[in-house]
Amino acid sequence: MLTGLAVVGVARFLQQRQDFEDATARSYQVEIAARNRLASGTNPVASRTTIIAQQRKRQALRDDIGGETRDTALLVGAGLIAGLTGAALLFSGLIASMRRPLEELVEASGRLAAGDLNTRVKIGGLSETASLGAAFNEMAAELQRRAGERDQLETMKDEFVLTASHELRSPLTSVQGFAELLMLERDKLSPQQADTVEIILDNTRHLVRLLNDLLDLARSDAGRLTIKPSPTDVASLVEDPVRTMLSQTQAKHQSLTQEIQPALPHVSVDRDRIRQVLVNLLTNAHEYCPEKASIHVAATGNGDGVELSVSDNGPGMAADQLEHIFERFTRGDAGLTQHVGGTGLGLAISKSLVELHGGRLAVKSTPGEGSIFHVWLPALRETL
Amino acid sequence: MSTRVLIADDSETILLLLRTRLEMEGYDVVTAADGVEVIEAINAGPAPDILLLDAMMPRKSGIDALRELRTAGIETPVLIVSAHQDEMDAGAPTDVEVSGYITKPIDFEQLFSRIAELTA
Repeated sequence: MLTGLAVVGVARFLQQRQDFEDATARSYQVEIAARNRLASGTNPVASRTTIIAQQRKRQALRDDIGGETRDTALLVGAGLIAGLTGAALLFSGLIASMRRPLEELVEASGRLAAGDLNTRVKIGGLSETASLGAAFNEMAAELQRRAGERDQLETMKDEFVLTASHELRSPLTSVQGFAELLMLERDKLSPQQADTVEIILDNTRHLVRLLNDLLDLARSDAGRLTIKPSPTDVASLVEDPVRTMLSQTQAKHQSLTQEIQPALPHVSVDRDRIRQVLVNLLTNAHEYCPEKASIHVAATGNGDGVELSVSDNGPGMAADQLEHIFERFTRGDAGLTQHVGGTGLGLAISKSLVELHGGRLAVKSTPGEGSIFHVWLPALRETL
Repeated sequence: MSTRVLIADDSETILLLLRTRLEMEGYDVVTAADGVEVIEAINAGPAPDILLLDAMMPRKSGIDALRELRTAGIETPVLIVSAHQDEMDAGAPTDVEVSGYITKPIDFEQLFSRIAELTA
């Protein structure tokens, strides 16, 4: 529009100048002819009249062209103003038509980042924003597809672990059962044979433990790790796993002591599961501590709950090791783990189990001095 | 007269293991490879004092065999052997009473004490 007006204006201005110059030139020619006639004395009166008329005519032409130039300038000015206004309107319209889809995209990106993979935007507006919207939707669909695949893989993994654990259990039952059978008749075996059977049994028990740990972990991931809590006396909760561990600690000449504060409140726990946690903590202390080390179990009141602690004066752990201690497949120092039979899953499972009870599992350790694990469990609320 | 135990498992190896250990403890043992054979053994007599049934077996599971026995009015104690906790949670029958569960691998000391309790 602006260009149109300017072109029309300028063309008209040029045409007007041309017309003016042509007319002025013709007027001069007529005047010169009249002056020549006057000089030669031919018809002097008429010649003078012509000269004056031509001078007036040129004056009129000059006045005219002045007026017309002003008109043209006005026309171009009006064109310019109209053009600028139009451009401003066009531009604000353009901004508005881009702004809404862009705002929608920003908002949708936020929702997508927050995890709502169903997020899509309406495709519309200018071709650029429309293709941006289409690209966004394509990306969201791809993310959703991949998330779906990942969930499916997770489910397959959990199912696999559950099935494998089930299928491995029968042959393991046979291996362990028949090895135990041989050990029942140990006196009929040579010392070397007896040692061999002992090794088979040790490794079978390790496999069973690994299988149970993997199963617990798969259950935990699938949200199927459950507890069946019932009111439980703290003293028996501690005494039972300590008794279980005594023969092993004695074999390594380690001292295993317990101290239970009297009159502790009852706790609401799944006895087998808390036993599993304590046996795990005691087994770790037993396996990572050298011969003749001291392991101590204590039960004390702490706030609204009861704290069970397992401490040792073993090698302890450095801060960087402590950071990852509750992560899966994290095991102690390689130099030590060579003769330690853990799976690296025990503490991860113990933490999940304690947290399922509404409790906390924490650790403090100093290299060279020992470690202490605290299991805090909420006290059973007295009901009337 | 010694206590008569009927054991059912689809694995011959497990049956051999159970039979050997139970006989060493002085029990009289009858075996079955699935639920169908359990019912046949019960019908053929003499009646066992306790049943030790694997939860999952082909043709007829231990749970189904147990249900059939209870329906027929036979109240012999039944221990269900299952591979793991999940199976017990998922497969525990709500309509019939199970005397107890034993998980694999079998803790024989625990098994013997459960049998002694239930047949006392």
